[in-house]
Amino acid sequence: MNRGLLQKAFRELWPATALFGIVIGLVEGVLAYVLPTFQEQLAAGWAQLRFAQTLIRAMVGTDTAGALGREMFFAIAWVHPVVVALTWAHAIVGATRVPAGEVDRGTMDVLLALPVSRWELFLSETAAWAGSGLAVLAFAWAGNLAGGLALPAGVRPDPSRVAIALVNLLFLYLAVGGIASLISCLSDRRGKAMAAVFVLVLASFLLNYLAQFWEPARRIRHLSLLTYHRPLLALRDGVWPILDLAVLGSLAAASWIAGGIVFARRDLSTV
Amino acid sequence: MSAIVLSSLSRSYGARRGIEDVDLEVPEGSLFGFLGPNGAGKTTTIRVMLGFLRPSRGSARLLGLDAWRETRRIKAEVGYLPGDLRLYPWLNGRDALRIFGAVRGRDLGPRGAELAEALDLDLGVKTRSMSRGMRQKLGIILALAHDPRLLILDEPTSGLDPLVQEQLRDRLRRLASSGRTVFFSSHALGEVESLCDRVAMVRAGRIVAAGTLEELRRRTGSEVTIRWREPGLASGLEPPPFLRIERRDGATWRGSLEGPVESFIAWLSGRPVADLTITRPDLEAVFRRYYEGERAGA
Repeated sequence: MNRGLLQKAFRELWPATALFGIVIGLVEGVLAYVLPTFQEQLAAGWAQLRFAQTLIRAMVGTDTAGALGREMFFAIAWVHPVVVALTWAHAIVGATRVPAGEVDRGTMDVLLALPVSRWELFLSETAAWAGSGLAVLAFAWAGNLAGGLALPAGVRPDPSRVAIALVNLLFLYLAVGGIASLISCLSDRRGKAMAAVFVLVLASFLLNYLAQFWEPARRIRHLSLLTYHRPLLALRDGVWPILDLAVLGSLAAASWIAGGIVFARRDLSTV
Repeated sequence: MSAIVLSSLSRSYGARRGIEDVDLEVPEGSLFGFLGPNGAGKTTTIRVMLGFLRPSRGSARLLGLDAWRETRRIKAEVGYLPGDLRLYPWLNGRDALRIFGAVRGRDLGPRGAELAEALDLDLGVKTRSMSRGMRQKLGIILALAHDPRLLILDEPTSGLDPLVQEQLRDRLRRLASSGRTVFFSSHALGEVESLCDRVAMVRAGRIVAAGTLEELRRRTGSEVTIRWREPGLASGLEPPPFLRIERRDGATWRGSLEGPVESFIAWLSGRPVADLTITRPDLEAVFRRYYEGERAGA
């Protein structure tokens, strides 16, 4: 990794990271407080709505078996569409900067004229977006803990279990970032790269939802990224989702390596 | 040793033409002008040299190293100014020197500040607020600040005012005289003529001429203008094989002399010449000759 490239990447990423971090921290804080506080009213309302139960089952990643317990409300804070959308958006914004973003804005020639190998450049940029993702999730954790502190002592989530859910979300972030990075390496237009990743994650979201009640979707459910993000298991049972982490981690690593190979071998210059 | 050696270098973009069989050698310590119209292949050649593009065929070696495989080592000793320089909008000159210095592992601050003073650039201004000329100055500073052995400049004076252009030319001359190699592409023939000791001309992706200015002038021949006493007689005359007539305008012929002056004078003697001018061609004439000749031959 190159110190100068990290400085440059940090300078570019920190405004978006601060913005996403503050927003996701606030959202997490509100959800972590509101959902358990109004648990009974929400559970009564959702019990009347079949589609709401289906949606919640799709989001939390496991069958709630009709029990809308406290852990499930804690879990919703980690799978709420706003939280997932912010996480994915940050991963897509960060991971498509190089090379698609650099080519698109015409700064690729300046960057490539520096005495660093393409792998070094790719590694430095990856460290920057992955690190900034970690920062965004740290904001989310802080928000979640702050929201939890506002709850009565007996109903607060177990911080060690929250940490497991957070790691699961981090691996989801890395998987989306890895895919975004690969698509960026194949593209010269950042807008197109971002749109392509967005379509993929949206398809993933829809597949996960449809799989709750549609057999053909259920059969290919394993293709959805959200299948491997199941915070309820962590918060309810305190179990590390090793298999989910392995799948997401492998996907992140495979797409990152493929992206690096493409980046190192392809022609690159301002278009 | 040669700073740049291109051997049968080709690069195509599918159906679109890039460069074809480019052979070029740039001696170390020379000021080398790379000339050609838009789309001729100048920037493609530079991008292959810098390892941005992989050659389709042939090889490019800079400072004895392979341009694609050893590009990192090459760039440690190369300063590059792109033709269409674009910089990060949040960057100011000081940040740029700090970040580029950190990438290169050296402190570029003092040398950068000295260059900025010479070029009259405020390093505190962000590039988003800079004019094109200011950005070009910053690009030049970033290309020169690490004191490179080889400078590759794509249209370096575009956007600069005449005084700064002259300053830059002086600096490039000094660099070349201290053993650095300067390779620059340009449209400005006068600039290349006043600055370069060697040039290459590229047209439609191929090198059409390369050498010292003197060699090219010699190859091109002197410019000749003959005014005949009688227009009617001029139309009946056939020029000798060593005189290439490019324009016949009534009683006036314009062309180039491609043989010994003595033979030309001998051929003229006894013919009704009213006026005769023989001049050494300037670079513009050489350039025109190569391009018009190629076009006629195409």
